[in-house]
Amino acid sequence: MFRSIISERPHWRDSAREFGFTYHTMYGEAYWDESAYYQFNLQQIENDIEAPTEELHQMCLSVVDKVVNDQQLMERFQIPQTHWDYIRTSWMNKESSLYSRMDLAYGGSGHAKLYENNADTPTSLYETGFWQWLWLQDQVNAGKLHRKSDQFNSLQEKLVNRFSQMRLEHPGETLYFSCCKDTDEDRGTVQYLEDCAVAAGIDCKFIYIEDVGLSADDCFTDLDNLKISWMFKLYPWEFMLREEYSEAITQSGTSWLEPPWKAIMSNKALMPMLWKLFPNHPNLLASYFEEDLKNSQLTHYVKKPIFAREGANISIVIDGEERYSSDGPYGDEGFIYQAYSPLPAFGDNFTLIGSWLVNDKAAGISVREDKNRITQDLSRYMPHIIL
Amino acid sequence: MKRTQSIDLSSMRKSPKYFAFKPLAIAVAAGTLLGCSDDSQEEQVYRTVNDCISDNPDQTEQCEIAYKQAIEESVKSGPKYSSMAACIADFGENNCNGYSNQSNQSFFMPFMAGYVVSSLLDNRRYRSAPLYTSYSRSSPAYGKWSSTDGNLFGSANSKKVRFGSNDFKPKPIVRRTMSRGGFGSTIAAKSRFGGKSSRSSWGG
Repeated sequence: MFRSIISERPHWRDSAREFGFTYHTMYGEAYWDESAYYQFNLQQIENDIEAPTEELHQMCLSVVDKVVNDQQLMERFQIPQTHWDYIRTSWMNKESSLYSRMDLAYGGSGHAKLYENNADTPTSLYETGFWQWLWLQDQVNAGKLHRKSDQFNSLQEKLVNRFSQMRLEHPGETLYFSCCKDTDEDRGTVQYLEDCAVAAGIDCKFIYIEDVGLSADDCFTDLDNLKISWMFKLYPWEFMLREEYSEAITQSGTSWLEPPWKAIMSNKALMPMLWKLFPNHPNLLASYFEEDLKNSQLTHYVKKPIFAREGANISIVIDGEERYSSDGPYGDEGFIYQAYSPLPAFGDNFTLIGSWLVNDKAAGISVREDKNRITQDLSRYMPHIIL
Repeated sequence: MKRTQSIDLSSMRKSPKYFAFKPLAIAVAAGTLLGCSDDSQEEQVYRTVNDCISDNPDQTEQCEIAYKQAIEESVKSGPKYSSMAACIADFGENNCNGYSNQSNQSFFMPFMAGYVVSSLLDNRRYRSAPLYTSYSRSSPAYGKWSSTDGNLFGSANSKKVRFGSNDFKPKPIVRRTMSRGGFGSTIAAKSRFGGKSSRSSWGG
């Protein structure tokens, strides 16, 4: 695994406009960065990323199975008691999930270490499934990359196939796609998923999450006052379960993507639970709940809020001293503590691998780089190849 | 290969589609061949089940099923009013009835005046739809057949209407939305943090 400099495609910004990739530059900074790429060999991809990703995913599923059946753990995971049954039922009914992304620390050798699991609302999907795919195609055609260059990226193919399966479970139903207002990035992600669903023959509509209505007979409604029976929401369960409509969720009869049980899998409390169930697993970092920290002998650790997004409210503690921290609005629901395992550095950059899953199968990777040790929402997205 | 085999790039383009010029000759030819694109055909209307049976003595069961389907569709998606007066204004005196739903809200609907049965009846596919008519002179539906969504189909004295396949499709139920905005309050609170004027992702 190494980082190589490459010339940018001369007209990629025009191409981005043509394909509707509107958020390649954010706050005046590059988000999509094709001035360099990462190169992996096939063994690194297959042995160190693909296989561990699928194994870790199965381990996470067994945590969900344990938590839904244990009230104390449901409390630890900060699931509101009003929704314990609802979430347990969604797990027991094996409600379909679409996708997730695991963040792994991996620098080309040794075991990839799981940082966290973005199992509910992962983003950077379009950049991965389509845009870096196009970059590889263009650069190979331009003779800038070896023609045998490949990419670990079957995301779009797998998403379309997954939607095709789901269409059979929802004959004739309209799938609503939703995200929050005022974010180009989320709107783009949701549009991409809608494109994949349309390719699978599903009838789709879009609605902003803030525009969802509630009818007299407890249905969620769209702006035409029609029932929303099937909905993809790029909006976290931990928020939905605490908002005005949280009580209505159980009565609404809506099928959700991701399903309600993802509230457990996307939760940072997953990390100490994984360590309890699979201690010393080579792809896990030692992780503890607050009350277990004292007996853990952890001296170098990262403190993470149970609920947080995009690297907010994280601090790194080394020998009792806080060395780095990021600010943010999270942390009210408590923290977990994870052994400090720094991201690999390539030059001045710290590199994080996002490993995607669709339908329980590893589906590709995204690579993000940050000048900071904590990857945040302004880190840059870098393409990769396998050669 | 560890990547998606192929992607149809044209389906991924989001920029406005360029005007596709069609030679005039072809456009004219298409126009004369197809006319206005319309799959509607003449269909039979019955006012009662007995009307249907007397026209189709060997299809008693089909007539009954088609009637039942039309009644169900009329309950589901027929015109609903919050007052009797509003219903009468559109459909006329003695043509409206009051109902109440499970949450004890009352509403008013016109009586189904007839039902249209697809000529596909003999193919053992029972496509049917409810029809209404109005006895109120000021109503656009006066003396005419009307479908659940208010489309008019000629004189109610006629036993034929031109129905397309869309006219037979069950209509989605329109709900009474009591509130909006019950999702999204958390981000409104969190996005005040840091004073960013625009937001990046709420995913992760």
